[in-house]
Amino acid sequence: FLSKFTSYFGSSINIDEVSKQFHEQLISKNVAPQTARQILDRIKNQLKGKSVTLANFKKALVDELTKTLSPNVSTDLLYDIKAKANRGRPYVISVVGVNGVGKSTNLAKLAYWFLQNDLDVLICACDTFRSGAVEQLKVHVNNLKALNANMNSNAKIDIFEKGYGGGDHVVATAKAAIQYGATEKFDVILIDTAGRTHSNAKLMAPLKKFGDAANPDKIIMVGEALVGTDSVEQATNFNNAFGNKRNLDFFIISKVDTVGDLMGTMINMVMATNVPILFMGTGQTYTDIKRLNVKTIVDNLMR
Amino acid sequence: MVLADLGNRLKGALSSVSSGSDDEIAALLKDISNALIENDVNFKLVFRLKENIRQKIDTDSFKSDTVANKRKKLQKAVYDELVALVDAYEEPPQIKKLSASSTTAKGKKKLVKKRESHVIMFVGLQGAGKTTSCTKLAVYYKKRGYKVGLVCADTFRAGAFDQLKQNAIKANIPYYGSYLETDPVKVSAEGVAKFKAERFDIVIVDTSGRHKQEESLFSEMVQISEAILPNQTVMVMDGSIGQAAEEQAKAFKEASDFGSIILTKMDGHAKGGGAISAIAATKTPIIFIGTGEHVADFELFKPSSFISKLLGIGDLQSLMDH
Ligand SMILES: Nc1nc2c(ncn2[C@@H]2O[C@H](COP(=O)(O)OP(=O)(O)OP(=O)(O)O)[C@@H](O)[C@H]2O)c(=O)[nH]1
Ligand SMILES: Nc1nc2c(ncn2[C@@H]2O[C@H](COP(=O)(O)OP(=O)(O)OP(=O)(O)O)[C@@H](O)[C@H]2O)c(=O)[nH]1
Ligand SMILES: [Mg+2]
Ligand SMILES: [Mg+2]
Repeated sequence: FLSKFTSYFGSSINIDEVSKQFHEQLISKNVAPQTARQILDRIKNQLKGKSVTLANFKKALVDELTKTLSPNVSTDLLYDIKAKANRGRPYVISVVGVNGVGKSTNLAKLAYWFLQNDLDVLICACDTFRSGAVEQLKVHVNNLKALNANMNSNAKIDIFEKGYGGGDHVVATAKAAIQYGATEKFDVILIDTAGRTHSNAKLMAPLKKFGDAANPDKIIMVGEALVGTDSVEQATNFNNAFGNKRNLDFFIISKVDTVGDLMGTMINMVMATNVPILFMGTGQTYTDIKRLNVKTIVDNLMR
Repeated sequence: MVLADLGNRLKGALSSVSSGSDDEIAALLKDISNALIENDVNFKLVFRLKENIRQKIDTDSFKSDTVANKRKKLQKAVYDELVALVDAYEEPPQIKKLSASSTTAKGKKKLVKKRESHVIMFVGLQGAGKTTSCTKLAVYYKKRGYKVGLVCADTFRAGAFDQLKQNAIKANIPYYGSYLETDPVKVSAEGVAKFKAERFDIVIVDTSGRHKQEESLFSEMVQISEAILPNQTVMVMDGSIGQAAEEQAKAFKEASDFGSIILTKMDGHAKGGGAISAIAATKTPIIFIGTGEHVADFELFKPSSFISKLLGIGDLQSLMDH
């Protein structure tokens, strides 16, 4: 893409013209147009009045993308869990997100990671709506029990479920799980929730109730790398779903293995909310959960 | 409404044409292009659409026409190009009931070749909505008097069989699957054979989610397809998919030769533009759209009425044809 410009690399450029080209570039990488515009406007502001070369412009863009993806709060979850270990209450983490993005699967990956770090994990089935959701988690817990036995680990894993149901069933299940988890001295409770359409108020409203009742230490939104411009609104609406005192804590961006270098969704969701990315999901097995390599992602976006 | 935002922007752009001057037309084309791009439609497609419209109105008769006629012609050009974007100009197969396989002609019983069950295989990316849409399609045909069976050939995803089974039981549709067998080729072949032997009109086969980057998953899909020889393969695509849609759809097309698309999650504000790009790239018709998680949230897709609705212009086609 950049070869078009190399001829006037080094000489000063028309910022608007170049900005337009990068706008197209970012969109082709699945960055939402409005997000791309936001980023480029920032750069234009920074460079205003200066004599700018293509190299300057490109560096400013790389820096901006890098800054966007670099978390400004600690993402050391294990540390936080250990620091809060003696409260007489397990550390509660909940995953939320739209339908089919990979909430339950990435919750199971988190469970595997915690087990490897010697933490006792209770998985709570609070998707009490979608067919097979409870059984899906049971299969994961059984798999993880077997893996755990093979690892000779002392950590334990179990499931807490009260079957399917509507209305207050979700809140009741979550509360009972936390109680049970405290009595049985689990370190971490991972609560799965049902997928929901982010623009459907009827489905989003119960999230607030759930958040108030379960009061999770961390709320993680799973978003998928495949989704296009809708990712902006998805992130915004979920970030606003828990009332004005509570936000999302982290994203997990799933299915990164399915998009090649079209990694723009990450930029969209972070720019829209300022919520950092904890992990990315890179496949369908328990080990397919990775820390972000910001440089690689930015290189992909710029390529 | 589906794609409400895109619809509003297109409507807005069209209604801002007042004199039909070149400047106005340029602005209109720009507005339409931006609206489409912001709804995930691929750049190249948008560019082509813009050029096509430009060409259509680049005639002397257009230039000398009255403002009212210009507006009408512009609207028609935009409408036609949008329909062209989502229309593959191909009909999905009409499925015949097996019970009707011997017909009487002129009082005499005519022997018709013994028909077999119509087998539909579902394919798609992870989490697109395959399992959900399988049941929706089964219920759609069941309501129309077909005898439909569901086969779960997803032996990979945790809880996949339970999901299909619970959906099937709720909808009162016979199903087949296994908790023990891990080979999807074997389960699908057994399930299809069973329902064929029982003379079901339609057998719908659900498969695991997969993506083009993982070759083994694609070859598994080809093996299932070779084992059950589907009459129709349906790709299920999430309506909110972005720029990755085109590449994935092309790869699925090549490997599975799907003949129809079901677009899901079109409730809410799903943009559908990524999927539209995939449709244009594969020239494959959308047959249904999914508009929610419940079985009834399922609509037949017709390109012309979809675009008419989008533009809020009633049935423009019939208006123009007069
Ligand atoms: N390729 C790939 N597939 C993934 C990844 N994460 C999840 N999946 C797959 O995506 C599909 C959906 O995953 P689930 O975990 O059931 O998604 P969910 O968000 O819990 O879905 P609902 O509860 O129905 O809303 C499954 O087939 C998973 O195996 C990932 O990182 N990469
Ligand atoms: N809002 C909405 N949700 C849908 C629609 N279709 C499916 N879903 C939801 O999307 C999620 C994933 O659907 P599935 O049918 O499990 O998807 P799948 O393609 O079978 O997933 P894998 O088998 O894991 O690849 C579930 O939570 C469904 O309820 C739809 O049209 N609208
Ligand atoms: Mg789930
Ligand atoms: Mg499925």
